[in-house]
Amino acid sequence: MLAKNLWTRWVLLAVALVMVGFYLFPVYWMYITALKTNTETFQNPPTFWPHDPQFRFAEVWVKYGLDSYIKNSAIIAAGTVALVVILGTGCAYALARVRSVWMDLVLFTVLMMQVLPSSLMITPIFVAYNQVGMMDWPRTGVVLAQAAKVLPLYIVLVRAAFTQIPKELEEAALVDGNSRMGAFLFIAVPLARNGIMVTAILIFMQSLGEYVYARSLITDRALQPATVGLQFLTGPNASDWSGIMTYSAIYVTPILILFVALQRKIVSGLTSGALK
Amino acid sequence: MTQQITLSGIEKHYGGYHALKGINLDIPKGQFVALVGPSGCGKSTLLRTIAGLETISGGRIEIAGRDVTAVPPRGRDIAMVFQSYALYPHLTVEGNMTYALRLKGLSKAEAKARAAEIAEITGLSALLQRYPRELSGGQRQRVAMGRAIVRDPAAFLFDEPLSNLDAALRVHMRAEIRKLHNRLGATSVYVTHDQIEAMTMADHVVVMRAGVVEQQGAPLELYDRPANQFVAGFIGSPAMNFVPGRVGEDEQSVALDLAGSPVLRFAGRRPSGEAVTVGLRPEHLELGGAGGNSLTLPVALVERTGSASYIVSDTDLMIAATERVADGLGQVTVHIASERVHLFHPTTGVALR
Repeated sequence: MLAKNLWTRWVLLAVALVMVGFYLFPVYWMYITALKTNTETFQNPPTFWPHDPQFRFAEVWVKYGLDSYIKNSAIIAAGTVALVVILGTGCAYALARVRSVWMDLVLFTVLMMQVLPSSLMITPIFVAYNQVGMMDWPRTGVVLAQAAKVLPLYIVLVRAAFTQIPKELEEAALVDGNSRMGAFLFIAVPLARNGIMVTAILIFMQSLGEYVYARSLITDRALQPATVGLQFLTGPNASDWSGIMTYSAIYVTPILILFVALQRKIVSGLTSGALK
Repeated sequence: MTQQITLSGIEKHYGGYHALKGINLDIPKGQFVALVGPSGCGKSTLLRTIAGLETISGGRIEIAGRDVTAVPPRGRDIAMVFQSYALYPHLTVEGNMTYALRLKGLSKAEAKARAAEIAEITGLSALLQRYPRELSGGQRQRVAMGRAIVRDPAAFLFDEPLSNLDAALRVHMRAEIRKLHNRLGATSVYVTHDQIEAMTMADHVVVMRAGVVEQQGAPLELYDRPANQFVAGFIGSPAMNFVPGRVGEDEQSVALDLAGSPVLRFAGRRPSGEAVTVGLRPEHLELGGAGGNSLTLPVALVERTGSASYIVSDTDLMIAATERVADGLGQVTVHIASERVHLFHPTTGVALR
């Protein structure tokens, strides 16, 4: 019995390791390719560890003007998060507190909005922006479109965090002399802060990787984010593959570090509410 | 005495459900009032309407001489202790206690001083910097009390505050809350489903059922002179025995619908031949048949608690005896004083006197 149990555990562990390896292989490949020379990149059979590591980070940063791209990515992601938190928190709270058939319908509609892919939405958005003159502020336009895209996810996750808070706490705050708004801001929001923070981080990361809206709406290179800038490294005749990978590594590493540092919080934030 | 809380004709509908049906209640300043009844009777709803957490469908609420019917909770100057305590988990004990004071506009130093003073009274001084999650159930209960007291409100509202505590602590906190009330003299409304809590703590008990006040009065008044069969059965533990019977020709005695049709005398007169429900409290049935007015009952079961013996007859009548009872008892003869025999109308349940 015990031996069998041990066996199962080892087998499961092995399967888990293989799966993790499978998922992480592209990340590993990105990092080693970033360190390889262009000839080594296309060597056959491929090398799994660069013979002659090249550290081209500073060169790529300057050559491709990453400072502008990364700054634009950060502006778009931060703008999206700010807009979503401001608009979505109150909405999530209302959906958590008011119980009726209509609210269920609203929630369903909100979820439906998430189903539509960006590549489908971009055409009507483009036309609408053109008509109202939004194309003069393309970055703001991307923030708006991206916020609309991720708002449903935020609302659904934060609503789950709010439903965890006992109603009595807000009633106590009302009796203690708070207004309805005060009870929301000073009792409900601080208590849901874990859920809000985790969801905001997820949305920040998602928006950092946004491509479709930025590619379609922003034509001025000085305003484009890093995802769009990456494509200028490939050309019809020559592509700087190790440069692309170095670029990607610079872009992705801070996000990865952030994710690993916060992963415990993110996982607990996402599963809280699932179990009770 | 001036009225601190006046409820007139309170109505509450939840969709098609009529939760409160014209409740009238006057609570004098400084009185400790218990709202008691079975679950679903509307007692918690009534308390929440006083707090302003529920809007009412009709009627009028006055607190401290002011019409507050349309005033939100924060304008009513009341403090509430919740069943779940509802302590703010992200604030320390001190934070919980000063929260309302800070909202009232007191400075940080003033609020802290006041919290420290109340912490002294409630025995929380050593716990001020702790968070609610680090406290035991009894301590949390105390913080909830402290948070209410620190406000010095026009009235305290308690929503079954002891029901989450274990039995021993409940008895202890019961006495403590009452002592605190004697000391502070603040008007209190206390909701409970436990009639013993209501009887022991309150000056005035309001018995509710299905959104209606069945009877209100001093605890012993309810015990001695229940207005109807429901109140008679609800107040007192173990519950009153009910036996159908018929008034005899002398208009002062009733024949019980039991084997051998025993006859008991009662105080007062009722018309001969009237069908009644006879109420006999278990603790009023005394062992030994001396003095007449007695019943002989076959014994089905004896339960012993040490301080009392509960004898259950084959017809489920209960006798509470303080003396110890021997095993293998075949039958017992019990005596009851005629003024302790209660009569109720067999269908409406109204007390007949």
